[in-house]
Amino acid sequence: MLSLYLYMSMTFWTFAYLLVCALPAAVCLLLPVRWSRTAFRHLILWYGNIIVRIAVWPWVRVIYDSTAPSDEDDEGVYVFNHRSASDPFLIAMLGLPMLQLVNGWPMRLPLFGFFARRCGYIDTTKNNYEESRAKIAAALGAHVPIASFPEGTRSGSRNLNQFRSGIFKIAMELHAPIHPCCIVGNEYIPDRRFRFQAGRIHVRRMPVIAADEAASFGNAYLLKQHVKTLIQAEITKLEEP
Amino acid sequence: MQPEDIIAAVNAVFVEQFEIDPADLLPEKEIFRDLGLDSLDIVDMMVGLQRTFGISLRQNEELRQIVTLGDLHAFFLKLVEENPDLAAKLQKK
Repeated sequence: MLSLYLYMSMTFWTFAYLLVCALPAAVCLLLPVRWSRTAFRHLILWYGNIIVRIAVWPWVRVIYDSTAPSDEDDEGVYVFNHRSASDPFLIAMLGLPMLQLVNGWPMRLPLFGFFARRCGYIDTTKNNYEESRAKIAAALGAHVPIASFPEGTRSGSRNLNQFRSGIFKIAMELHAPIHPCCIVGNEYIPDRRFRFQAGRIHVRRMPVIAADEAASFGNAYLLKQHVKTLIQAEITKLEEP
Repeated sequence: MQPEDIIAAVNAVFVEQFEIDPADLLPEKEIFRDLGLDSLDIVDMMVGLQRTFGISLRQNEELRQIVTLGDLHAFFLKLVEENPDLAAKLQKK
């Protein structure tokens, strides 16, 4: 019953938002590609905020905080744990118009796929390694923050699955800082069968790993293990009773 | 060294690096489409295969043509056949 209500609420807010942003979106389509992508990333950011702050409230409450210094630079690669399909919406809590790395299927979704393509989201199943790396380099060069889920697929539980090395190798090669972030409480919001439970979700941004510090690990394997340990420790703290 | 040992060594990389169920590791499966890997996962796949077979694959152009797991098996079967010392290294492990 809760799932039905929340899906109805999200559908309502999605169409309401579409009505409001249809004209700006149409104007954005006419802009040069770089501006258009920036504008669409902002449209997605605001949509994400509407869904996680309004559409699912009060049954799902989302708390955001940051343990990073307030003057920390926003540029770089943001690395999140991945428990649920709600994660791509929840990262909007950081308030940054990020470019997401996605593995194919979000690009094929009706409506969402259109916006993802207009934003220039990077499909890592369609692009080979060099193409993905070049697109990430271009985005970072244009000061666009990158969002990545190095577990590859959602865990659907409290487990933190093995991290894949690719994004860490690229971050090291491009001398990009890494921002570890964690999301807890959403393992069943929704669950792997897309059913919702009421609950409280916590999104936390952690202090940056500067590019020089990341490079000092020498290889992507050691860096990813370090980031995974940091995220696991933060998750444990947040889930302490 | 038997061909099935080489195939098992290749498959073990997918199990260890990507936590793929061994039952899913069928030769006809496409590495990207069916096994769920993406272009960034190639880093881990290459590292795992290099570590298993003790060789550098960085400059290998043939690997770029691989689509299915069966193609990868065939690549390593051929590689081991052409380099018997690889089989010896693998047996030591």
